Amino acid sequence: MYPQQIHGYLEKFFTENNCDIIIGNDHYMTVQLTIDMDKKIMNRPFYWKYLENIDGVPNPAKLTFITDQNQLEEEIKGEVVHFGSPRLNQLFQTTKKLGSYVQMYERVLDNPKTKTILTPWLGVNYKVSYYSDQTKEMFHSLGINLITGNMIDSFQEWISGVDLDSTMSKDAFNITYIIKPLRALERLDGAIENIIQRDDHTWADEAKMRWKKDREVLEYFYEGVENKPECYDMEKEAMDQQYEARIKIEIINGGLFYLK
Amino acid sequence: MIIEKSSEWKEGFIERLENREAWDNWTLYNMSYEVVKNSLITDFAGLQSPKYLPNLTPLQHQLEVAQTVIERMNGKAILADEVGLGKTIEAGLILKEYLIRGLVKKALILVPASLVNQWIEELNQKFYIPAMQYKKNYDLNTCNIVVMSMDMAKRSPHKENIYEQNYDLIIIDEAHKLKNHKTKNYEFVQNLKKKFCLLLTATPIQNDVFELFYLISLLKPGHLGNYETFQSAFSASKHNVEHDDFLKELVNQVMVRNRRQDTGIEWTKRRVQTIPIHFTQEEKEIYEMILELKNISPVFSGAFSMITLQKEMCSSKEATYMTLNKMRQKCTDPQEIDYVEGIIQKLMVLEVNSKAEKAYEIISEANDKVIIFTEYRASQAYLQWYLYTKGITSVLFNGKFKKNKRDWMKQLFKDQAQVLIATESGGEGINLQFCHHVINYDLPWNPMKLEQRIGRVHRLGQEHDVHIYNLAIHNTIEEDILDLLYVKLDVFEKVVGDLDDILSSFKKTI
Repeated sequence: MYPQQIHGYLEKFFTENNCDIIIGNDHYMTVQLTIDMDKKIMNRPFYWKYLENIDGVPNPAKLTFITDQNQLEEEIKGEVVHFGSPRLNQLFQTTKKLGSYVQMYERVLDNPKTKTILTPWLGVNYKVSYYSDQTKEMFHSLGINLITGNMIDSFQEWISGVDLDSTMSKDAFNITYIIKPLRALERLDGAIENIIQRDDHTWADEAKMRWKKDREVLEYFYEGVENKPECYDMEKEAMDQQYEARIKIEIINGGLFYLK
Repeated sequence: MIIEKSSEWKEGFIERLENREAWDNWTLYNMSYEVVKNSLITDFAGLQSPKYLPNLTPLQHQLEVAQTVIERMNGKAILADEVGLGKTIEAGLILKEYLIRGLVKKALILVPASLVNQWIEELNQKFYIPAMQYKKNYDLNTCNIVVMSMDMAKRSPHKENIYEQNYDLIIIDEAHKLKNHKTKNYEFVQNLKKKFCLLLTATPIQNDVFELFYLISLLKPGHLGNYETFQSAFSASKHNVEHDDFLKELVNQVMVRNRRQDTGIEWTKRRVQTIPIHFTQEEKEIYEMILELKNISPVFSGAFSMITLQKEMCSSKEATYMTLNKMRQKCTDPQEIDYVEGIIQKLMVLEVNSKAEKAYEIISEANDKVIIFTEYRASQAYLQWYLYTKGITSVLFNGKFKKNKRDWMKQLFKDQAQVLIATESGGEGINLQFCHHVINYDLPWNPMKLEQRIGRVHRLGQEHDVHIYNLAIHNTIEEDILDLLYVKLDVFEKVVGDLDDILSSFKKTI
């Protein structure tokens, strides 16, 4: 992420969370946190506990972020935020928490004569990770039509072109789903497992080969030793953990979408 | 294959479906999607860490080391770059990469006590890795990335606390300190679970090839066979190695080593000279009397004390006196005492120190900052006094100094004094690129100590050719030391690889 992308990200993040940007330009900003945001990112539970106990006046923090130090003309004191900095990482995590579940409706034009029917969908964004002593990650955005059971790939890309709102337009109504959302979620989970199964897993075989080779070396070292010492078992255990192939499925976010 | 799934998202989804919790913000939903998609690690190979470290510009060889260790050595390796090429940076890159990829959650970094702060600083500031220094009574369960001194770690109760943890990565700095398999350090590391493991040392062989065998056996037991097979396969005697090409090949599977000239950076040259010195008649007389001691009294029959005395006599009368005086007290026979007293008398009236004079000569000619390394505290103090009488300012340095004092002495040397006089243990962890003359006033038995000494000045940031003066007194034990140093260097080069000049290339310059 380039400095201007990070700057845009921060601006959007704080605006969406109702934190005022008091001052700033394209390279830095000072933000007045809300009480809620202070509790989320300032890591000072004792302060808030204390304040509530004495019934004091809350004073949420004001933070200055510098997104491009090189472009600053005046001397500004603040946290330098860049890709990889702990602060940005924290804001990413917070974003993830605050943007996990949505319910969205496609906007329809006002037309009292005809009501537009909206069809319910469940959309889920998955991250799949392959682990051994190395890693690789994949992303899948799946959607399922809750009436027909029809599934589609790249769901997120598809709806990114749709005009969505968190409340339903007056002149629209939605059909009640036939497939229950939780049941649909199971189907999507199944589809992900299918994708994984069909994938090429040479990586796991290769990890197994590395693992086997290392174990042979270890056995050679202790060949003929009758009472093998504790560190022999330890080494073996470490190897199991190092090379064992695992797959992790993680849901980033998802929600219900009512579409024309 | 194991598939890990969490039901966490589903539970939150149920809360929303049943209207117990509010739905989230659509913009944040999209931002989260973008972030995850953009930071996806789409390939097993390659490094992610550089793009997370905009303020660090690793050198090409450092990036290559990180990649080689992760992709070809499966995260278990000896990082053996020559001194000053940034092994800490390489280790930091590897640790960062594993953290980003989620393969390491907990890491333990074991270093000499004097380097703890430096590691904490580098990891936090250069790599944004929240490493913390271990202190007594800390709960290791809550420290994920912890830096600890080896001396502390190997003792109870810390040792047991460490064994209870499940570390994914162990990093050991100055790993040549594990060369002796009979030490507590070695045993401690041997019993440590090592999933991923990095051993850092510029000098994986110091004296003989078995040190490398034991080091590799810690990292990957069996890689060089067990002790018996290793010994017979390479018919390894202490200072002679057969099948060295094959051995080198095996070693290179677990060790990465860059030399200064491989780094693509312009390095200044090393100019090494052996400076022969001749004793004065008076010095020679005393040296010969010391050689006679073993025939005079059983107190002096031990080879070790005799060697020490000879080496000390090659250094200064002050150093000699300290040892000799202690040993005199063990003598009982009046004749023996007389003989020893006789030597001491002669020492007292000795006026000239030929080696110190030579050192002074070199300093005057250099007319610049100079570091002198000596093996003896007494010689260190003498040299400071002697140089003072010649109008040359100097500061002392040794390993027992606390960090503040080290920094202060370094600053004094930089700003005010012409000479820094250091004892061996003062060698580690100070960087003195602003100086380019090194006098090895006494020679150590271990050639890698010389390499470590020179590494203090011949490192990144040095702008001048580095001059190294090895002083050796003609017809004394120092000539034997010099011979042995050549033999040891030969073993190192056969098994580990070439080295920059430590000794002058002409074997017999004396």
